Amino acid sequence: MSTRVGRLRQAVGRRTGTGLLLPLLLFDLLVFVVPFGYLLRISLSERGGTQAYAEGTWSVEGYSYLLDPSNTIAETFVFTLGFGVVVTVVSVAVATLYAHAMWRADGSLRVVLVAGALVSMFTAIVVKLFAALLVYSPDGVLNGLLVSVGLLSEPLRLVNNGVGAVIGQLYIVVPYSILAVYAVLSTVDESLLEAARDLGANGPRAFVEVVVPHAVPGILVAGVISFTWSIGSYAAPLLLGSGSERTNGVLVSDLLLREFDWAAAAALAVVVTATVLGGLVVGRLVLSRREVSASG
Amino acid sequence: MTLLELDGITVQYGTLTAVDDLSLSVERGELLCLLGPSGCGKSTTLRTIAGFERPDAGRVRLGGGDTPTDVTGTLPNDRDTAMVFQDWALFPNKTVRENVAFGLKMDGTPETDRRARADEMLSLVEMTDHADNDPTQLSGGQKQRVALARSLAVDPTLLLLDEPLSNLDRRLREDMQLELKSIHERLETTMVYVTHDQDEAFTLADRIAVVNDGRVEQVGPPASVYTDPETLFVESFLGTTNLVDCTVRRARAPAETADAQVADGGRVALETPLAEPLFAPATETAVSEDDHVTASLRPEQLSVGVARDGTVGDDGDGLATTGTVASRLHRGSQVRYEIEIGEETLVTHRRIADRLEVTEGERVAVGCPAESISFFDAEGRRLR
Repeated sequence: MSTRVGRLRQAVGRRTGTGLLLPLLLFDLLVFVVPFGYLLRISLSERGGTQAYAEGTWSVEGYSYLLDPSNTIAETFVFTLGFGVVVTVVSVAVATLYAHAMWRADGSLRVVLVAGALVSMFTAIVVKLFAALLVYSPDGVLNGLLVSVGLLSEPLRLVNNGVGAVIGQLYIVVPYSILAVYAVLSTVDESLLEAARDLGANGPRAFVEVVVPHAVPGILVAGVISFTWSIGSYAAPLLLGSGSERTNGVLVSDLLLREFDWAAAAALAVVVTATVLGGLVVGRLVLSRREVSASG
Repeated sequence: MTLLELDGITVQYGTLTAVDDLSLSVERGELLCLLGPSGCGKSTTLRTIAGFERPDAGRVRLGGGDTPTDVTGTLPNDRDTAMVFQDWALFPNKTVRENVAFGLKMDGTPETDRRARADEMLSLVEMTDHADNDPTQLSGGQKQRVALARSLAVDPTLLLLDEPLSNLDRRLREDMQLELKSIHERLETTMVYVTHDQDEAFTLADRIAVVNDGRVEQVGPPASVYTDPETLFVESFLGTTNLVDCTVRRARAPAETADAQVADGGRVALETPLAEPLFAPATETAVSEDDHVTASLRPEQLSVGVARDGTVGDDGDGLATTGTVASRLHRGSQVRYEIEIGEETLVTHRRIADRLEVTEGERVAVGCPAESISFFDAEGRRLR
């Protein structure tokens, strides 16, 4: 019995690397590779006319639809990229400050800050967005407060426009960005900060000289998370934007459900996914170059 | 001339008092060692000097001029001190040269000047070849050198070292001690050096401050602290010793007292577990009957000889008795002997070349001159 267990353990030990990866690979295959293969296939079908798409045909009609200037796909794409950039910049800035506060805080304050990030992360996106709507709408909590204390004469328009879409998207990505930056900050040896202070650096200077260089990988990860997620955003622009904040995600859903043009919808989805993957590869390259230069 | 004055420093963490009303002064150009067991408050004291801890009471005065100025509320970056950290705290994202030049960069020194100064410091610690390296790839000893160069580069009024050698192996540590001492002699920078290693303190220090429980027990040159301890803590912390618990029996009757000893001042007889009484230099007012007194007999002060008729020649109030060799242990360059005397076991050691011609179980005569025995009262104060 014991030798059999021992032998089993040995066998497992030898293949632990691949063995542990297997479930992940299977999961990836089922939820990403196979569906994405279908998507790619549909994007390369003829557009259906009366059907969603012409099954079994081969064509690039979906992609040429995207390139047709009369469909204003390019505008949507540019808007989406711009939206992604704005959300990323704000998200990384907010997350870096928040993570820094979390890192410097002690005891109960740190617990509260960590809980703030986690609770927001565990809340369903739709719930979070409706909550944001309640807070930021013209007769919502924030405007009500600002008007009643006399800071504003009339409420700010913070929803049903581009600002609303950005706010909504921030509620989705900021918690992840915070954790990405915090994970790196928490590995900074505090004696490094003391050494910098000891050698004459004031607080902000020590932060810039010692903490920021150390946190760059975390900040890049936060940027990648924010950007790739915003490029594919759907719910936030739909719920907190006006009709004119059309992102790629909204457009794909329109093509699928209203136009019933699956080939074009799939083609757009493939292009968006390729853009996101391209962004990840670039981010990865930047990170690994930094690692090489740091160790070389 | 006094460079640093600590005046009644108290540092508390919640209910724990790390440093308790500690006062100390450091002279310009000297190397003072704060020596004590871990948790005694020596590192906290150093951090208070650097400005990382704000004392709950007391003042820190640091001076370039004639009289030290009060820096108690001054931030670490505005204090003219530099610290070498125990884990060295080198900046991992900067090269060795950038690390050394960091303090000068914060001063606003021009690039070429600070580069020249950094290279000068790196040559001082013999690290010129590593100037462009990544500090994370250096060995412990090399990191230690870079950390020292980084702190020296800003030419601090006072250099603080927090157990900088404790993460190195013994051989390297001993080499670095000698090197540090020679750097100190060359640059004449005033240094406060924290260590728990007495050998390190004796090697490096101009003066040693023995710290215990957040207080300074004794300050002085290494030799006088070792040979003339003021408290039982100092005696037992520095080196090994045989501590023998004794009980005060009576002051020596006048009839038994030789004239010379009367001139010495009072002596009291102690009941010891050594089968022989000892006589402590104390008056009856200092101790009273049944008080506990601890006698300390340094191993190197014990003489061991062949027993003749049970005793060695009596040399007055010293120890003169016989015992049995209980064990003999070779420890590298030394031999350690345990000798059972009465209910007590005394330890002594000899260098291999001077080892004793005794075997286990042999009866030997054991002696110790009176002036080499220190006595401490129940509070640990030296009886003189």
